[in-house]
Amino acid sequence: MTIPVTQCLMRFDEEHHSLEDYQGGVQRWCNGCGDNAILTAVQRLCRDEGLSPERMVFVSGIGCSSRFPHYMSTYGFHGIHGRAFPIAEGVKMARPDLHVFVNTGDGDCCSIGAAHWIHAIRYNMNLTVLLHDNFVYGLTKKQASPTSPKGLKSNTTPRGADLEALNPISVTLGVQNASFVAQAVDWIPEVLYDIVAAAYRHKGFSFVRIIQRCPEFLPKMLEPWLQDPSKTLLLTHENGVQLSPDMARIYKNQREHDPLDIDRAREIASSDDVIPVGILYRNPDIPCYEDLRGSGQPRPAERIRAGLEAELDAFTVWPDDSTAKHAAA
Amino acid sequence: MTGGPPLTCESQTIGPEPAATLQGQAVFHLTGSRSGDELESIEGGTFRPALLAGYRDLSRLRYDYPVVLVESAADGAFVRSLSSIVDDVLQEVAPPGMEGERLRRQVLRLECELRSLVRDGAKGMLSDLWEKAAASLAVDGGESVEQILSHTGARLSVDGEVIDCDHEVPSRLVAHAWRTTQQQKARRFHDEVNRLLQALSDILRAAFIHSEGGRRPESLQAGVGDLHRDDFDFDVMSRLLGKSAPADELPVARRERIEWAIDVLKRQRFFEPPVGTSLVQAAELPYEYRFSSCAETMTAFGERLSELVEFVKAMSMAALEADGRYLEAKHDPFFDAFGEHALTLEDLALFPDYLVCIDAGDTDAAESAVVTEVLSSDLPVKVLVQTEDVLEESSLGAGHFGFGMRSMQLASTVMGLHDVFILQTTSSNLYQLRGQLLTGLEYAGPALFSIFSGSASPASDLPPYLTSAAAMESRAFVAFTYDPAAGPDLASRFSLEDNPQPEFDWPIEDLEYADEALQRVKEQVAFTIVDFIVCDRRYARHFARIPRSQWNENMIPVDEWLSLDPSDVGQRVPHVNVVDEHNVLYRLIVDAKLMQAARRCREIWHGLQELGGIHNSHAERLLAREKAAWEEEKQRELESLRAEAAATAVVEGAVGAPQVTVAGEGAPGPELAVEEAAEEAPSDDPWIETKRCSTCNECTLINDRMFAYDENKQAYFKDLDAGTFREIVEAAEVCQVAVIHPGKPRNPNEPGLEELIERAKPFQ
Repeated sequence: MTIPVTQCLMRFDEEHHSLEDYQGGVQRWCNGCGDNAILTAVQRLCRDEGLSPERMVFVSGIGCSSRFPHYMSTYGFHGIHGRAFPIAEGVKMARPDLHVFVNTGDGDCCSIGAAHWIHAIRYNMNLTVLLHDNFVYGLTKKQASPTSPKGLKSNTTPRGADLEALNPISVTLGVQNASFVAQAVDWIPEVLYDIVAAAYRHKGFSFVRIIQRCPEFLPKMLEPWLQDPSKTLLLTHENGVQLSPDMARIYKNQREHDPLDIDRAREIASSDDVIPVGILYRNPDIPCYEDLRGSGQPRPAERIRAGLEAELDAFTVWPDDSTAKHAAA
Repeated sequence: MTGGPPLTCESQTIGPEPAATLQGQAVFHLTGSRSGDELESIEGGTFRPALLAGYRDLSRLRYDYPVVLVESAADGAFVRSLSSIVDDVLQEVAPPGMEGERLRRQVLRLECELRSLVRDGAKGMLSDLWEKAAASLAVDGGESVEQILSHTGARLSVDGEVIDCDHEVPSRLVAHAWRTTQQQKARRFHDEVNRLLQALSDILRAAFIHSEGGRRPESLQAGVGDLHRDDFDFDVMSRLLGKSAPADELPVARRERIEWAIDVLKRQRFFEPPVGTSLVQAAELPYEYRFSSCAETMTAFGERLSELVEFVKAMSMAALEADGRYLEAKHDPFFDAFGEHALTLEDLALFPDYLVCIDAGDTDAAESAVVTEVLSSDLPVKVLVQTEDVLEESSLGAGHFGFGMRSMQLASTVMGLHDVFILQTTSSNLYQLRGQLLTGLEYAGPALFSIFSGSASPASDLPPYLTSAAAMESRAFVAFTYDPAAGPDLASRFSLEDNPQPEFDWPIEDLEYADEALQRVKEQVAFTIVDFIVCDRRYARHFARIPRSQWNENMIPVDEWLSLDPSDVGQRVPHVNVVDEHNVLYRLIVDAKLMQAARRCREIWHGLQELGGIHNSHAERLLAREKAAWEEEKQRELESLRAEAAATAVVEGAVGAPQVTVAGEGAPGPELAVEEAAEEAPSDDPWIETKRCSTCNECTLINDRMFAYDENKQAYFKDLDAGTFREIVEAAEVCQVAVIHPGKPRNPNEPGLEELIERAKPFQ
């Protein structure tokens, strides 16, 4: 088979990118911070998939992780606290041709942005969501976040956190229309990369919780899992993550898990003793909101203007004598 | 069984002597001449194969016809059988239980009535015919019945024209499917063209806003709503903006290019622009794409080619401009030389497909050659060749048969072109193969649809549906698909699976009838091409009816006779089971001339089977060869083991039981063992598990000349001499994932080594 002449021309000029092409400013994260590993995994993905920087948008809220767009040489939107999802949804709705990523933290997503998070799952728009979960508000110097474990001492919980931690994976799996749910850890970069790549390739709202270290405020918290590979449960499947022989030798605690099995996914997500790593759930058949609502038609400036006028007119206070006239029009 | 009396056996009467019977039958078989009274001619009779005895009145059967050509098919279901639509209605309206049962019965009666109407020539939309049938039933059932049936009619999920299986079915069904695919194509086409037009318009609009014209007071005023127009001084605003704005006018060449592309995209005539939703406004009527000859198609394509080339050129330019990737130095020379040479199959696939409907009976050798030529030209053309008569006599005349030759020749020639989609089938099976039909119409290249209509000819009493079904069942008109897009090899592309029992020479069916004692007899009989030919009065002379009294062991079914080696035939003569209009069972013997044609039909079928991977001679030979080699190998191994066991027994008997190690089978050879040991020997050099590095920057901050990142941004030792053992140990200590292994110091004179070696131990 051949390809259309336009594609031929495009391929003549196809650019091959290196990791450096995606690198924005110099990271200001702390040394040893897990965000670095996530950044590397994403940059590798961009390079390996041959993504054009001008066709990508990284949207974030507020927090350490939300500095992510600054470090990508792509389009980005460093939004306001908890509002990464609505911004990303707007971008995707207007420009479905762009690859839209959301970088959000445990505070940004699970606390102030929780309402947006829940509904973003339900909308199932084609977004790749990376939840950088370090269990603490790091940017504001160690306050407890919704995912902080019970008993964690912080500036806001000096006697230890009173509440059980929220499990973002269980929550996501409990929301209607969840279509891709995975969990990764920053200290297994190979698997982190595979999961991020699978999330990117999934059409729909792909939610990846990435458990990451905070060397500044919780330097010892994840030490037991780092020291003892058996405390990490690797979920493998032909339709999920497949381990390389090297990884399989180190991480012997493995379980075959079919990502189509949501009941088993929920059961695994709720396990306390080990950290499950892999794709817990994937359902490619759930429709995306932009496909359901998007007309697919181009929107000329005239149509956009007419739509805006109609919307704004609805809230305009007209002079008394012209109200009826405008209403009639 | 529908219609007609039950199948019974002819009553027996006393006949002539057996020897004379055999002689007469053999003479007829070999010469086609009847000698004596016991061989009756069937000319003037109305016989049909016994297996078709049950299908007298098709209107009482629920089968694929009539079908509804669905209007505005959104989900690709461009055609539905009446039965499936009725089932959907019942599923929706009939409640479970007795009440639902009554409703079901009424609706099924209506379906039956509707079939009868269509059989008698009624035409129209399903909704209209439904009302008509309901009114007809209401004559007997009263007003309430009509109300019920009209109510159910209102629940029809689809509507469209109802057509029965007649000689128009192939062309109407294919044309309807073609229109459906063209509508989808038109949507895709308009989406893409509108997208490009929008992008080009945006470029021009943005250029205008940045231009001097865009900064004029009146332009600025037009950009502000009416309500606040008086709040601004647009003259001042224009001056201010003019001072700070860069001189960023759109280059003349680019503007001309974009405007040219917009003009070409807007005045296209390939598809009709959808009303109100398109940026395209056609100045003239769109082109016609349906033709009745390939020559006309070629002419039309040639006339439109320059316009098509221009359009593809405009699209390509627009796509590059929209993506911001048009480089004049690189692309101008290409577009200056752009012509039909640059078009690819996929470019052509963007435009409407040409549909050519041809009657096989009207195609002479010259037209056949043009068909092949068109199909080999990579044009987006879909050719329907409709065959009306599959049992035509050879053009040689003089009793030569050309059964199915014309269609077979065309199909096999076209299959040799490799990249043409082919679907061959009969009307009876067309509904079942609607998916393949769509696949062929959506295929990016040319496609051939060869369809036998089963059209009622004066030589047959069967309705078109039965004629076409019998043609496929008897292998007279074989169904197959050849889809070049399905894969690179014949196994992926060619399929015979739509034929009944494709693994057999002939389909085997159960035949039940009542014998003279009115006892049920059940036999398995094959449906051969001879059974199909018996329906055609033109070939009645090749059959002779044998009275029941003269049936004998030498009469064997046609399929059995064909499976015999010619040298073993002896006095045996082939026969087929037929029934008359009263469903009385008879046997007809067949002459050798017709059997020769049947044998050739079977050989052609065998050839197709091989293509379809059934009884493939190459595969079977290879399998036999491999099996023989495998058995030989195993035999050798067995003998070797036996010999070894015997030798061991002798040695054991003599000196005990020594351990024997065969080189290469047990422990590794000495060289290999040395290599493995060398690999496993711990190195004194420091090393990093690069694949596990999480890019935390700790080590590179300590010494970025010694530690560096690879192309995946993971750490490795770039230069071991660029730092000290102390730095390596410190890096190992701060590494979050403990992937740095310090090894042993390279410089024995480095200060504090003793302490550093101790600190390095946990990381080795």
